[in-house]
Amino acid sequence: MGLVSAVLSGFVLALIAPWIYRIARGATGWLLAIFPLALFAYFLSYIGAVAAGDVVRVSYPWVPSLGINLSFYLDGLSLLFAFLITGIGALVLIYTGGYLKDHSHLGRFYGFILFFMASMLGVVLADNTMGLFLFWELTSVSSFLLIGFEHEKESSRAAALQALLVTALGGMALLGGFLLLNQAVGSWEISELVRQGDAIRTHSLYIPIVLLVLAGAFTKSAQFPFHFWLPSAMEAPTPVSAYLHSATMVKAGVYLLARMTPALAETALWTGTVTAVGAVTMVFGAAIAFRQSDLKLILAYSTVSALGIMMMLLGVGTAGAVQAMVVFLFGHALYKGALFMLAGAIDHEAGTRDVNRLAGLRSAMPVSAAAGLLAALSMAAVPALFGFYGKELFYESLAEDYLMPVLLFASVLTSMIFVAVAVLAGIKPFIGETTSSAKQPHEAPISLWLGPVTLAATGLVLGLWPSMVDKSALLPAIHAVLWRPVFLELALWHGLNPIFLLSMATLASGSGLFIFRSRLLRLFSWLDALRDCGPRNGYSLALAGLNAAAQAQTRVLQSGYLRYYLLIVVATATVLSGYKLLQDIESLSFGRLFDVTFYEAAPALLILLAAFMATRVRSRLAAIAALGVVGFSVALVFVLFSAPDLAMTQFSIETLTVILFVLVFYHLPRFAILSSAWTRARDTFVALTAGGLITAIMLKASGVELHPKISTYYIENSVPLAHGHNIVNVILVEFRGLDTLGEITVLAIAAVGVYALLKFWPGKTETR
Amino acid sequence: METLLAFVVGGLYAAGLYMMLRRSVLKLIIGLGLFGHAANLLIFTMGGLTRAQPPILFGLPADAAAGVADPLPQALILTAIVIGFGVQAFALVLIRRAVQAVGTDDLDQMKATDT
Amino acid sequence: MDASLIPLLPGAQVLLTALVVMLLDLFIDEHERGLLAWISLLGLALCGAEAILLWGSSEGTFGDTLLLDNFALFFTQIFIAVAALTVLSSMRYVRETGIHEGEFYSLILFATTGMIVMAAANDLMVFFLGLETMSVAVYVLTGMWRSSARSSEAAMKYFLMGAFATGFLLYGIALIYGATGSTNLNQISAYLLEPQGQWPPYLFVGGLLLLVGFGFKVGAVPFHFWIPDVYEGAPTPVTGFMAVAVKAAAFAAWARILMHELSPLDSDWALPLRVLAIATMTIGNLLAISQPSVKRMLAYSSIAHAGYLLIGIVAGEEWGSTSLLFYLATYAPATFGAFAVITLLTEQDKPKEDYGHFAGLGFKRPFVAMAMSLFMLSLAGFPPLAGFTGKFHIFRSAIIAGHTDLAIIGVLNSLLSVIYYLRVIVMMYMNEGGVKGKSFIESPYLYTAVGLAAAATIYLGVLPMRTLEWSRSAFSSLF
Repeated sequence: MGLVSAVLSGFVLALIAPWIYRIARGATGWLLAIFPLALFAYFLSYIGAVAAGDVVRVSYPWVPSLGINLSFYLDGLSLLFAFLITGIGALVLIYTGGYLKDHSHLGRFYGFILFFMASMLGVVLADNTMGLFLFWELTSVSSFLLIGFEHEKESSRAAALQALLVTALGGMALLGGFLLLNQAVGSWEISELVRQGDAIRTHSLYIPIVLLVLAGAFTKSAQFPFHFWLPSAMEAPTPVSAYLHSATMVKAGVYLLARMTPALAETALWTGTVTAVGAVTMVFGAAIAFRQSDLKLILAYSTVSALGIMMMLLGVGTAGAVQAMVVFLFGHALYKGALFMLAGAIDHEAGTRDVNRLAGLRSAMPVSAAAGLLAALSMAAVPALFGFYGKELFYESLAEDYLMPVLLFASVLTSMIFVAVAVLAGIKPFIGETTSSAKQPHEAPISLWLGPVTLAATGLVLGLWPSMVDKSALLPAIHAVLWRPVFLELALWHGLNPIFLLSMATLASGSGLFIFRSRLLRLFSWLDALRDCGPRNGYSLALAGLNAAAQAQTRVLQSGYLRYYLLIVVATATVLSGYKLLQDIESLSFGRLFDVTFYEAAPALLILLAAFMATRVRSRLAAIAALGVVGFSVALVFVLFSAPDLAMTQFSIETLTVILFVLVFYHLPRFAILSSAWTRARDTFVALTAGGLITAIMLKASGVELHPKISTYYIENSVPLAHGHNIVNVILVEFRGLDTLGEITVLAIAAVGVYALLKFWPGKTETR
Repeated sequence: METLLAFVVGGLYAAGLYMMLRRSVLKLIIGLGLFGHAANLLIFTMGGLTRAQPPILFGLPADAAAGVADPLPQALILTAIVIGFGVQAFALVLIRRAVQAVGTDDLDQMKATDT
Repeated sequence: MDASLIPLLPGAQVLLTALVVMLLDLFIDEHERGLLAWISLLGLALCGAEAILLWGSSEGTFGDTLLLDNFALFFTQIFIAVAALTVLSSMRYVRETGIHEGEFYSLILFATTGMIVMAAANDLMVFFLGLETMSVAVYVLTGMWRSSARSSEAAMKYFLMGAFATGFLLYGIALIYGATGSTNLNQISAYLLEPQGQWPPYLFVGGLLLLVGFGFKVGAVPFHFWIPDVYEGAPTPVTGFMAVAVKAAAFAAWARILMHELSPLDSDWALPLRVLAIATMTIGNLLAISQPSVKRMLAYSSIAHAGYLLIGIVAGEEWGSTSLLFYLATYAPATFGAFAVITLLTEQDKPKEDYGHFAGLGFKRPFVAMAMSLFMLSLAGFPPLAGFTGKFHIFRSAIIAGHTDLAIIGVLNSLLSVIYYLRVIVMMYMNEGGVKGKSFIESPYLYTAVGLAAAATIYLGVLPMRTLEWSRSAFSSLF
């Protein structure tokens, strides 16, 4: 029960957050932070049990007929993510209070953030794939709302929609993957799926399952070529970038693949795809991060790159790689969260985020400068900071079992850029000569520096004493992915091994990259031309194409001409029924053509003649007369073939109809020739084809010996049951009395309609 | 006669359809009327034609009753005729109103709702 | 004749209420006409209660031309709920727009009667009558917005296309009658099950003509042309009524007649149906993207939803049919709710239906905007809302029946729909909206209708179990 309320209470709080803001105003951030802190403490209480290998699982039936439960599951991996979500969440709430101070919709913003927090907790705690999908989509929706929060800007709205479309595309794929997984092994529970790994890997649906699940994870975690939404999402207010787009939500894809590793990994398809996509994203993201000058974009692309590292490590999938992934993930959340919040604070205090214009802020913002220094050193993987361990394990895992020279080379290159980018984003703004900026900078309020300082300090403390977390929080997470015992002990000093030397070399050359950055950028400036052919442009082109196609289609299909609509309907119906009939055209029966007497043939020919006349005449009255002739001739046919009741009805109704037509048409304009000769020829063709089809059908029918009719029942029972001799009448009022009732109803409604139209006969109507 | 009626129904259908594809809404409603007649004749023919034996059992011996015309399609057509009339009456008033509101009977001019 | 009259009860109840409303209208004063809405609601509530009490019965009457089983009752509940919501949301609207209340309510009830008959019809002729009852009433309702030329034009177009489609149905019924010798569904299916080998080919044509008629009523491509014009021109509460109830009624008849009783012919129209489903989804969604008016967008999107429903028909069998019924139930509240919100935006007889009119609604009317967001997200298929559970079951049934390709196309289409549904949310929350002096139809009943629809949207998404059970039991009663 505890887990359920841990997730669901966040949604409740999100709903009432705007009201809390109305009362608490400036203190709201601090007040709301109590909630994630309490959750943090709650999860902390499980740390001993989970480290000992226990898991917590609760389950409530939701859609029992499909076996879908509302179930939650807490193991080492979930717990690690839960700590990040609640811990950083608390800091972000406090930070928001300072960053968006007095924003007119701040209350709603708190609601969105809490909504996201609860959804994200749901993602990492859900045990049911449908539950996971549900929370997964909710994080996408909350991300949409948060990115679009600064809605005055068109670019914000476009970015919000872009992020949602890309992640929703992945979400749909994920749903498909889960459906197929259920088809394959008959379970929705992840805890069950991971036990069925062998069955899944050998199942015929394995390939589509893997591709769909990967599509979900790659879009969410901004992997190449879906990465473009993440930099665009930097339109969001900085607390959102720090929280969703670096520390938590974008890691959901990594979480998913880690979670699914026991069920899906260890095949060539998985290893190859995940490793390759991760590696490309890693290098690509780092390279672009290097050439950015906007603080947030630098951090965004370096986040893309870091996510690539995690994906690549998951793909490699050895014990060492998974260890490295978990340790790197934890360290990344600490320093990247700090750097993002600092970027926001700098923007807030100095009025710009352009690194080329930022310098010398250390005297004005000493606390922030200290936090920036620590976070940057951690990102650069300087020993004694937590980021160092991730990098060490990362190198080690690629070098350990089998040498992967290409991957190792790419990783070293990326890490070098990380060093340069870390200095650029976390140190450069604070050192050097003060430049004149739009605003007189001064230290940020405590709400703005508390978050970065806490995260940066944590990175230092844990860097010095890694034993505080390695066995308690990180190792259980590694176990949850690997499902076999591994050993993890993080130590600052491993001796002077080649890996350590490589790390030092990386640091040195990374610093060099920073120093020569502007020169390098100029050297590679010709690459800027490639910027416009990236996947982002593919997205815009696709969207524009879609719009154009939609408009073109609307113009063509919805032309507004009723007769085209009718034409298409008739053509469709004719083609559909025609293709079946044409298969045996020879069976048409003309056998009963000549069994007619003259006075039978006369009305039939009269009908044809009058119908033809109706299409030709110019005068309205002549057309009505032709219609009348058709009606009366039909009545004659009824008389000749034993249907006197019908004939009488037809005669009287036809008379009324003609009168009505004359009355109404009298007031209306004359016929004019409105169509061109070509149109008329085309319509004639269509009409004759359709009419010919009906004739063909009837000729076929007359060739078939008819089935004994139900009607014998009526003939036999008319007198005994209903004491009526006119069977048609008996049918109408007794056997099928319902028809008559319905008939009367329709007439009544038509009368109401006529009455309604006549009563308010408009003397003048609104003209267009 | 069934064969002849097959051509009659086909012809009526074609004529009705042709009228419905015209631009004048008045022609359209006449087309609808032709369409309705064709439908009635179709049901009538499909039920099988019987000469001079209406389904009225007055004074008929029991064995002769088996040969009378099928009463069911006749009942169905009766229903269709009556409904058709009601609908047509409504349609005429509706069209007159629409023509007055828009000021023409040319359907191509009636595109207020299309974008 | 000793036919039991019990199966007539729900339909007769509504018909009676319609007549009472119509008659009372002649005798009461202008300012007391509000009473008519309450009488209509009372009649609908009684009918709903009867439908609940009769749940589980399976009784035919008038020579089995009308069959009251769970299938009919399930749909009856949908019709009644939508009719009641329509009445609720029209109470102030009809005054503002000068629509005559007495006729309006009685026509809504007449149409509902027709729908109930359609869902319960076990005979092609009775079905035809139900259809005509419904159609004629809705033709009239469409044109009731008197001061609007758009409305009478829409009514005329609807009528002309509708009469044309009805013609197709009549031809189809005639051909099926000619081939099988009966209009009674039991006897038709008994004929089809006889091991006699060859059926006359025009039986297939008859079924196809029925398909064209149904396709018209549900708005399947290429028989959908009337939908945007008519939905846009009709008074907005009527549009909601049409988009949900008329569509559901047509699907009810489709499910009972084509899917079930004529199922031996399935192999013949499997291909046309697949093409129909794909075209309907894709073209509906593409058309919806380029619309400047939200009402028109919703019209096109209702075409797309008909496409998803067609997947259920193609999938067939137990899951396909169950998910078809369930989808209709989940589609109803969100669609109706969205139209109710547009109703709310009407000001002094002037519709405000463009995206621009939604600008800033999130700040002016936070609860209405929240409800509208729920409706949009549900229609786009986001969990945990009704639209998601509906789509989930439809696509799942397609996969189970081996139509994985249809499911994939459906999923891609719902992604496409995200673009235009979210545009509404973007407008409401991310645009301040400079329109001055914007007023709304301030009716507590309209708000109630919106609130009820929102509650149902959440309920069906979070706790779908019971409704799913009902859908399944409704489907099973066909056997």
